[in-house]
Amino acid sequence: MFNYRAIAVIKRELREKLMSKAFILMTILLPVFMIGIIGFQTWIMSFEGDKNTKIEIITEDLSLTSKFESSFNELSFVKDTTYTVSFNTLSSAGLKEYIDSKKQLLIDEKLHGVIFIPDTALTNKEVQYYSKTPNNRTITEKLEGPINKVLLDQYFSEKGLSEDELQFARMEVDINGFKVSDEDEFKEEGFGNLILSYIFTFLLYLSLIMGGQMMMSSVQEEKTSKIVEVLLSSIQSKELMTGKILGGAITSTFQMAIWLIPIILLISTTWFVLPPELTLDITLFHLIYFLINFFLGLIIFLGLFGTVGAIFDTAQDAQSGMWPVMLLIMIPFFISFSVLRNPSNAVAEISSFVPFATVIVMPGRMVAGDVPLWQLIASIFVNIGTVLAIFPVAGKIYRVGILRTGKKPKWSEVIKWLKFKY
Amino acid sequence: MNALEVKNLSKSFGDLKAVNNASFVVPEGSIFGLIGRNGAGKTTTIRMMMNIYIPDEGEVILRGIKVGQEFKNKVGYLPEERGLYKKMKVLETLLYFAELKGVTGKAVKKKAKEYLERFDLTDRIDSKVEDLSKGNQQKIQFISTILHDPEFIILDEPFSGLDPINTNLLKEIILEKKKEGKVIIFSTHLMDFAEKMCDHIAMIDHGNIILNGSLSEIKQKYSQRNVSINYEGDISFLNGHPIVEKVADFGNTTGITVNDPGQIQDLLKLLVERGVNVKRFDAHDISLHEIFIDLAGKEEDILEEVKNV
Repeated sequence: MFNYRAIAVIKRELREKLMSKAFILMTILLPVFMIGIIGFQTWIMSFEGDKNTKIEIITEDLSLTSKFESSFNELSFVKDTTYTVSFNTLSSAGLKEYIDSKKQLLIDEKLHGVIFIPDTALTNKEVQYYSKTPNNRTITEKLEGPINKVLLDQYFSEKGLSEDELQFARMEVDINGFKVSDEDEFKEEGFGNLILSYIFTFLLYLSLIMGGQMMMSSVQEEKTSKIVEVLLSSIQSKELMTGKILGGAITSTFQMAIWLIPIILLISTTWFVLPPELTLDITLFHLIYFLINFFLGLIIFLGLFGTVGAIFDTAQDAQSGMWPVMLLIMIPFFISFSVLRNPSNAVAEISSFVPFATVIVMPGRMVAGDVPLWQLIASIFVNIGTVLAIFPVAGKIYRVGILRTGKKPKWSEVIKWLKFKY
Repeated sequence: MNALEVKNLSKSFGDLKAVNNASFVVPEGSIFGLIGRNGAGKTTTIRMMMNIYIPDEGEVILRGIKVGQEFKNKVGYLPEERGLYKKMKVLETLLYFAELKGVTGKAVKKKAKEYLERFDLTDRIDSKVEDLSKGNQQKIQFISTILHDPEFIILDEPFSGLDPINTNLLKEIILEKKKEGKVIIFSTHLMDFAEKMCDHIAMIDHGNIILNGSLSEIKQKYSQRNVSINYEGDISFLNGHPIVEKVADFGNTTGITVNDPGQIQDLLKLLVERGVNVKRFDAHDISLHEIFIDLAGKEEDILEEVKNV
């Protein structure tokens, strides 16, 4: 199965893929694209669309109004005139009439909102917000904190507390994460690993699909252009498949290794300094494990994509026939994304040992939290086991499919192929 | 001495019996023709000989040993539906196919260049295959079939889709390889080519071998009652004549079958008496085409197919 013929195929695949413009372009563009997406999102977020917001704050008590006024005028977004806040004092009885008088302004959004803070707010913190779009969280979230602060001050000022005590009451709880491991020191851990685990999961997802698509179209090319029959007069289908899969897997792993270079530099040199909340707590071992896992995953999925490519005559039919394989990548991807916040939850833990899913879930888990070594090794064995289990079947379907032409086969027919003596 | 023995090969795809208990032998140093209509089972038989398909039953014996991978290395195979990697360069393509046969190094590179020169393709050596004309792509395909100097050359419908120049080129290669003592096996539904080139044939129809052996012996056997003539005049009186079994007009020549071998001289006499200007009178001559029609069924079907080529 692995001999000079398979090596010749690998060499051709590498020549074809590594030297191709598409490979070079993709290797450069993907990180640019990823950073671009993040940058774009941040940029979009900065447009909260609350420029020139006009808000009116009404309380029932003149002194409370002036406290709001002095406190709010200190706020940065009021100072830079992003928000224009006016103040008024009114009893709750007159509120209805007052809002009515402002109705047209509110509807035309010349005034974006009126916040009424009744006296009762000092006991239950219930505040009313009148607006054309009361669900616009951008405005309410921004004002919640400042309002709370004034209410707190007002509340505690009557209790005769000192400024220090007030300061304490205003503070929010700040949880600092310390990672407990076998090492002597408890390291303070930031978000770096969590972000990295998302990046790993995303890269795995994208690369497996990209590599798979390439594999599929390459098998398709050989099938539709009939090269495969010439090839099979020299080489066994097993050897051809092995060569193509390894060629594709080496290419994609090489590409992944290039993408990991920044991370390797980050953890092994002091050239770059990350802010403390973003520092990465991973070792070279993790990266090597990541690549080995990726390589095994490629062997599994390239095999499946190649098999799908062999089943169908046209690229179009193949596109529609690849959904079962796509699901095997997409479901673990979504599981992974939803469980990474808590890497030791049961779903994450179980799915990181399920064949196919382990390829995508385990690396993210490994980076997000501490995974014992035996689990990592077990995952590798699951992958190897998957390879051993699917390849006799995939190889058979490949062998039958690759020389078969005619109408689009049904899945039930494909299963019948397994019984063919080929 | 037989180079290849095909013994009782059978192959089914689901309910379709593609090849049924096929047996024939390919002698050393011969050009062997596997003849039959489209869909008769030629390609399936060849694929089984090549070990591309595993037969349901039967085996293929190469000089006394069952065929396997070692046979693949000795074979140059030109499938009916040809294919090359479009994006690959000409020389790369040739070297890759040779490498799959286990032939690498400077010698094969030199030989590839020699062939390219002979086929007038030296200036395209670094072109991509997709930039070549169809005729030139066919030439590349031939070269890749023979570059590793195979002992067996298997050609599946080698002349289909070839322009006249490439047809001649391929014939030239086949005859040259025959002189070198190689075994050439080709399948075709074109009887003319088979008749002109083959020493031995096997005729396959609906998956069954209906005839096989040396072409001259076969022709002798089937030609006892046959005459092939060229003439000027009217021979319609022969239709329904007591000594004539049938008359078949092939355009350039006409084939006449008499009821008994002894009646051939009578036929000549009859023609002369009726004032037919006989230009050629070939007794005991029969075309492979006629034999095939006799054995494999209705003439209309076959003529239809010949027209379609």
